[in-house]
Amino acid sequence: MKTTLENDLNENMNPEESLHIINTMINTAKNKLADDGFHLIFWGWLVTFCALTHYVILKLNIQGGEWVWMLMPLGGIVSGIYGYKQGKTQKVRTHIDSYISYVWIGFIIALFLTLSFGYAHGIKATYFFLMLLYGMATFITGGILNFKPLIYGSLFSFAFAIVSVFVGEADQFLCISAALILSYIIPGHMLRSKFKSQQHA
Amino acid sequence: MLKDLDPILHSQLRLAIVSLLVGVKEAEFTYLKEQTNSTAGNLSVQIQKLKEAGYIEIEKKFKDNYPQTICKITKVGIKAFEDYVEVIQNYLKPKK
Repeated sequence: MKTTLENDLNENMNPEESLHIINTMINTAKNKLADDGFHLIFWGWLVTFCALTHYVILKLNIQGGEWVWMLMPLGGIVSGIYGYKQGKTQKVRTHIDSYISYVWIGFIIALFLTLSFGYAHGIKATYFFLMLLYGMATFITGGILNFKPLIYGSLFSFAFAIVSVFVGEADQFLCISAALILSYIIPGHMLRSKFKSQQHA
Repeated sequence: MLKDLDPILHSQLRLAIVSLLVGVKEAEFTYLKEQTNSTAGNLSVQIQKLKEAGYIEIEKKFKDNYPQTICKITKVGIKAFEDYVEVIQNYLKPKK
């Protein structure tokens, strides 16, 4: 490719050469894995930490466990800075990058509305819908990236959403933790190692 | 047979640029340069030709005080690329 492209004066390409250039160039962008898994891992661990801490506090009969969730806006800032920096170094924006952004922007809006207004229907309904949103966002992202661990992992969020309806308030935090470990943290780490191996390839 | 081929696309570097852009939403000049292994001078000339033909859009921005050139394929460019591929495919089909 290198030698042929350098000599652009040669207009006498035969059709096979044309097709070779098209194939090589199209595959360059197509096979690039678009996500490094950072946000999945970061949010997976952060929310799991908060949920488990809240669980322990509830079990110890201490008041004010909900304050641990104040880490969420902080997480938003870290995530935002990372995304901003990543965008700056990104030289190419694929359609896949764009689809994934829309999925997660939609997810954030739905999450915010669920947390803001869901309480009207009780805490159980809120957690149920949260886990459905976790599952839906990772299911779609897994589909777009064609990354099976994320698709299968997302099913655990749906499953634990159902389980959460039948357990007490404290145990709902265990459901959230389990959903995040299986839908975000594990597939997130797998995605990251695949991304890194691609970078070194 | 090759007379039907679009002369704008029937050039190795321009075809490579358009093939890259067809698969992405947008790409920086430096990305195109890396992927096509071309020189900055030659690449500039070729993207200018593609722009004049209406096949691509060029957006110039500043990133950390450095100029940044972003290229995007247009609808006209996609159509021209599809037509080009069709002519090539027809040529490569076994003759009856």
